[in-house]
Amino acid sequence: MPRLPLRMPIAALLLAGSLVPAAAAADPPQAALCSACHGEQGVPTAANIPVIWGQNEGYLYLELRDFKLGNRRSEVMGAVAATLEKDDMRALAAYFAAKPWPALDQQAAPEAVARVAEAADTSAGCKGCHLANWQGDSTTPRLAGQQHDYLRATMAAFRDGARANNPWMAALLKTYTDADIDALAAYLAGR
Amino acid sequence: MASLRTILTAAVAGAALLGMGLAGTVQAQEIRSAAKFGDMNTVTQDLLNRAASDGNNFLQTNGNYGQTRFYPNRQINRMNVSHLRPAWIFQTDVMESMETTPIVVNGVMYVTTSFDHVYALDARTGEELWHYKHKLGPITTYCCGPNNRGVAVYGDMVYLATLDSKLLALEAKTGKLFWSADIADPELGYSETMAPTAVNGKILIGTNGGEYGIRGFVKAYDAANGKLLWTFNTIPENSQGVWATHDATGRDEHRDIAAEKAAYAKDGDPYQKLGGGVWQNPSVDLATNRIYFVVGNPSPDLDGAVRPGDNLYTDSLVSLDLDTGKYVCHFQYVAHDVWDLDAVSPTVLVDVKGKDGTMVPGVLHAGKTGHVYVNDRRDCSLIRFSEAMVPQENMWTLPTKDGARMLPGANGGVEWSPIATDPMMGLAYAINLHQPMNYFVENAAYPSGKLWLGGAFKVIGSEEQWGNVTAVDYNTGKIRWQVKTAQPMIGGILATAGGLVFTGEGNGAFKAYDAQTGAVLWKFQAGAGVNAPPASYTVDGKQFVVVAAGGNTQLDYKRGNNIIAFTLD
Repeated sequence: MPRLPLRMPIAALLLAGSLVPAAAAADPPQAALCSACHGEQGVPTAANIPVIWGQNEGYLYLELRDFKLGNRRSEVMGAVAATLEKDDMRALAAYFAAKPWPALDQQAAPEAVARVAEAADTSAGCKGCHLANWQGDSTTPRLAGQQHDYLRATMAAFRDGARANNPWMAALLKTYTDADIDALAAYLAGR
Repeated sequence: MASLRTILTAAVAGAALLGMGLAGTVQAQEIRSAAKFGDMNTVTQDLLNRAASDGNNFLQTNGNYGQTRFYPNRQINRMNVSHLRPAWIFQTDVMESMETTPIVVNGVMYVTTSFDHVYALDARTGEELWHYKHKLGPITTYCCGPNNRGVAVYGDMVYLATLDSKLLALEAKTGKLFWSADIADPELGYSETMAPTAVNGKILIGTNGGEYGIRGFVKAYDAANGKLLWTFNTIPENSQGVWATHDATGRDEHRDIAAEKAAYAKDGDPYQKLGGGVWQNPSVDLATNRIYFVVGNPSPDLDGAVRPGDNLYTDSLVSLDLDTGKYVCHFQYVAHDVWDLDAVSPTVLVDVKGKDGTMVPGVLHAGKTGHVYVNDRRDCSLIRFSEAMVPQENMWTLPTKDGARMLPGANGGVEWSPIATDPMMGLAYAINLHQPMNYFVENAAYPSGKLWLGGAFKVIGSEEQWGNVTAVDYNTGKIRWQVKTAQPMIGGILATAGGLVFTGEGNGAFKAYDAQTGAVLWKFQAGAGVNAPPASYTVDGKQFVVVAAGGNTQLDYKRGNNIIAFTLD
């Protein structure tokens, strides 16, 4: 589970969202709350929080849905999603998907690390879903340029079963070593 | 049809009348024809019925209703194919996996790309006539790449099925959307990549989703207005079957029938999420008014514990009545499949030697198992199966927690790639994969709208992979010739009356083989994976061979965006 950047209780976080200056009229009302962690300009406020600006719309919707259903567990996101209806989730997904992906300036992986990552990709066929440039599409997330620590933690969570809302990913990750996961996180973050 | 000059003249006159301030808002729709001799763009049923002997057009994804992919023109042949060269290359706007079969009607070619773009091109020059880009909905759930395998043509329309599970009718002359129908809900795992089939006023379409806990189907829509005419569920409510212990080739599948029966008694029939996608076009038997197609894997792919029974009609040949969609017969190749070694490559209708040696109406299918199955069209029964076209080892070892090695790997054998046949020689031409894999099983509930494979299959990195082109005598089941390729093969193949077969490879090679011997007579480097089925056509008296070079998502072959048409001199 991603930790909160600040050690504030959930209620305080929800309150903080309501105190953020009102966004443009057409923005979903909950968007400001999301920005409190995922960043005012799309750069998350902590290393283990994912980029959602420019992320694929279908994926954002399915994850919100899964947080609400409890299929993907997170104290923070579960509490946020519990307040959302399907139309809210669709609107938020569309809103953030339309934003530009932020520049995080993460370093490209060294050649030796990239080779390990590419071998891991070949074995599982990652790009069969995440596509040639790791951009994903619709319900499959973009991985290129995602936050390094989030990528690493997410792959580990799939592997140890903590993240259970995509058993195919869990099954693939179970066949990976720590070195594979480290290499993939560095490789993808730097793409 | 108004000429370009007329439309522009009217636009200029209108602008002059209304003042220059409005000139920028005037739309001049440019409509051009690629036919040299008159305007004969309407595709009649009669034209489609005679597609197998039509040496000008390429009217259907697999050539004709029998799906032989045998093109009857011999202008390009064994003697002159060494002089084949690119006539033109058209670059699409989409650099992603290409699986389209170009359809050609009187000099106009229709091609599609990943993410559901359609282009109409002048088949002589490659010049773009129009471009339609489908606006995909926010939710798509598809396996194996954002592919599209092409359009169907009928009347004055072009039909496309989309990743977000819609069926569209576009005006053939303009690309304008005429009607749209929702096939199924993409959030539940349904998507479309296949080309539709047009016949007798109906548009037939199957569905993807065997990796998503769907209940598969084939549907028929009214070509005129998109109204649903019938639905055949590929998974019946009683899917248990006969508790077969062996596959169609007689090999033990190591099923625990007692445990399955106990699970069936306890949990009931698993039909609602049992998968059974139909990835490829049905063949149509015009004489009997029946269609024949194959049904894909059960869901989840690798975990049989949650789906006791034979899982009818997964991994099966199925025949229906074209008018009503009612069941006629079926034959299951692999009961209760837990390896995803299912049935995808489209069926082919040819006369074959029956068990007693007399010729009977047959139906061929090349399986992921690596066999070409030959069945009797009258009752779907098996006549014979071919020698294995790829190595088979440890069949049928059950998937395990730690991974069990078995060959073929889960991509086959023959994947979705259509085969070609030469009915005169009695040969079927198939392209194969050799990809050693480990099969893992893992129990999990359906994660709604996400891949549900019940485990994983993984390529064994230390083992060599390769492919082959194989010619099988379907009257004996013997392999006539076989040529190894550097990479596992996916895409498709075309045979022609010129004594040639054409097929491409992931490394960009596109080759012509001698249909009798397998000798490579010509090759071309396309710069991106040639992983789409080739087609051929003749316009203004000149024969062309055309193929898409866009690479492949599933096998991660180099992507491109080219449609390449070849001709002599």
